[in-house]
Amino acid sequence: MRHRRLARYYDLARPRLRLTWNKKNLYNIVNYRLPRLTSKTFFQQKWLAKAATRGYHGEHVKESQWERMFSRRIRSVVNMEPAYMAQHDGSEHAEGRGSGKIRSLEENPRSQTPHMQMTFAPLERRLDIAIFRAMFASSARQARQFVIHGAVKVNGKKMIYPGYLLNPGDMFQVDIDKVLYATGKPKRQDLKTPPQESEEGEEVIEEEAVEETAVEGVEGEEAVAEGEASTEEDIETLKKIRAAVKAYYKANREQSSAKQKVALRAILKESKAALAAAAKADANVGTVPYYVDKLTDLVGKLKLNSETQEEDKQASEEIHRALQEVPETLAKTPNQIKPYLVPWRPREFLPAFAFIPRYLEVNQKICAAVYLRHPVAREGMAEVPTPFPRIISQLAFNWYLRRG
Amino acid sequence: MPPRLPPTCSAQGIRCLKNVVITAQEPKTAAGRLLWRSSRAPFSSSASVSASDPRQQTTPEQEDFYKWCEFEAPKYAYKKQGDPPGPVYPRPPGGRGGAGETNKLRPFPQNPEFISQPVLSEAARDSIWKDVMERGLPIKAVSARRNVDMLRVAAVIRMKAIEKQWAAEGKELAEKYSDTMLNMLPVHHLEDTEEPFEPINEVYVHSKTQQQLFVPTSESRHFTRVDAAKAFGEKVLPPDQKIRIPELIGFEKELADGVDGKEARVNFLRETSTNEKELAAKMARRAQNDESKRMRLKSGRFEFRIENVNADAVGKNGRSRLATGWRYGVPHGDRRRGAVKIPTKVE
Repeated sequence: MRHRRLARYYDLARPRLRLTWNKKNLYNIVNYRLPRLTSKTFFQQKWLAKAATRGYHGEHVKESQWERMFSRRIRSVVNMEPAYMAQHDGSEHAEGRGSGKIRSLEENPRSQTPHMQMTFAPLERRLDIAIFRAMFASSARQARQFVIHGAVKVNGKKMIYPGYLLNPGDMFQVDIDKVLYATGKPKRQDLKTPPQESEEGEEVIEEEAVEETAVEGVEGEEAVAEGEASTEEDIETLKKIRAAVKAYYKANREQSSAKQKVALRAILKESKAALAAAAKADANVGTVPYYVDKLTDLVGKLKLNSETQEEDKQASEEIHRALQEVPETLAKTPNQIKPYLVPWRPREFLPAFAFIPRYLEVNQKICAAVYLRHPVAREGMAEVPTPFPRIISQLAFNWYLRRG
Repeated sequence: MPPRLPPTCSAQGIRCLKNVVITAQEPKTAAGRLLWRSSRAPFSSSASVSASDPRQQTTPEQEDFYKWCEFEAPKYAYKKQGDPPGPVYPRPPGGRGGAGETNKLRPFPQNPEFISQPVLSEAARDSIWKDVMERGLPIKAVSARRNVDMLRVAAVIRMKAIEKQWAAEGKELAEKYSDTMLNMLPVHHLEDTEEPFEPINEVYVHSKTQQQLFVPTSESRHFTRVDAAKAFGEKVLPPDQKIRIPELIGFEKELADGVDGKEARVNFLRETSTNEKELAAKMARRAQNDESKRMRLKSGRFEFRIENVNADAVGKNGRSRLATGWRYGVPHGDRRRGAVKIPTKVE
């Protein structure tokens, strides 16, 4: 795996198209022109096409790995009309002089099936590329990182291999926070935007900035006020939760399963960190609500043996009750720790890259997608998203055929 | 900070800027230093104005890019509320396309063969869920009625179930992200006034049918699709069996024979429903059969699943991949360099 990105990833002088939503990449896609091929030998043409297409399709996949994946068999489909099939049994193709009656082209317009645009179809099966295609990551490399960092599940199980080849029917889920981070505006966007010289631009930016600061300011002030008011309360509730969990853990150490013990220990750890954060709450307003969120989540996941023993039931109820006492205002404070700008807004230039190929069915609310089938070519259309014209893909296909 | 060109420059002026330096307006930063100039200036015959540090030179490509950032890029930014929804794809060079609805849906200007097809809207997904889970219609019938592939119908329901479960658990959903994305993507609402969502009777092209085949037959022979399939290979099925909803052919036949549309629809529903139930029963039987061969033992921490294994089932040459255990003289190869250990399926 070629881990490190090339130094000139988005080169303006020698543009290479990439699998990302980057602004320079958009510029390169917009201005991409067919290279001059006529003056070149066939080998040069193939080399050029291979280099260009591989820069886009799975550039992070080693060449030898891709060569092993390449398949000269291209999947294509034909649509059969049931109404036609009901009236004809196929023998009409032998009508006339044996090769079917001649129909005029107007009656039967045919367009070609672009098989060659399917050259890189096997790569679309890779988990990281599918995540990018489902619009859950801003680049294939970022998708790869999400997988490696354990933020992706396939059929409900954690999958840490970005090279996992999805099978038809596989469902993959990405952590919602990661998706929002990848697709949202970065934090402190206002600082990143360079000042513009045009008058209109200035106005727009100023307005936006005012809005942003207004929104953030209000939230921040509220949070500060709440933080000051409720710090002692918080510490009390956190202590309660901690005590309840600790008591339960001590009493049920023997009977608990390994998973339960891990969950309990996680709660203890988090509550300790939360207490530490609450002690210096004035330093960072967002930390306490963050830990409260996390604790609520952890306790929600915790499954105690509440059905079997009454003591356990009591303990579990106690923990839940303690959590419910967390002040509502505190729990609702916007999370300052999120790695993206809150409230979430889409990142720039997303509409230019907004498409989801049909071999994926995506549910954006849970950030999950099903890989329905392998991509196919049909009349006038190929399902593999590629920015290159047919002739380039064909040359690349020919390059890889040599080792068929 | 990237150098910027004065706003008064027209888009046509970009090219000439490479060699000609405009002195009429000199944009200055707060520090009052010139930030833009032509990098080619020192090497070209044209005059050059430069009060800036030589390290801040920009290439002509960069200049073009900054110009584009200023004038073209804002077109692709996410639209504000109130603007018409949908994507904004770059136009093909030379103004080709861009006018018709279909041309608008090509994200790559140089590749007219990739079309950004609409995705199902939230309402469409809800209606599919209602049809299958609340009205109890067979998936095949819903697929035929809505022109949505069976696999997609199943996937929509599968994910919708998770969504509902998360909502019931009080888990936070990515509502804002979902709204924004569906506002940005081309969307299909599954309404009768729209084009059909997707073809549902597609058949994969069998590799054996990709070669031309000459089959001598008598002129009088009635050579049908079934015969053609047989000629291509023993295992090649005719398209009548390969399409996902073969019951549709019977339905169309009934319609052609003059059966009332309502009655034909009822028959179709009945047939798809029985076929689906049979398939479900078959799968349940298979699962039960597999389970009966397995013994489950629960210890405190683990569940042991014990199955009978035939140690002699090692294939013709004794090296079958399905064989169980280590065999003398057959290396495992699981530690060989470059051996792929990524799982091939997740169940």
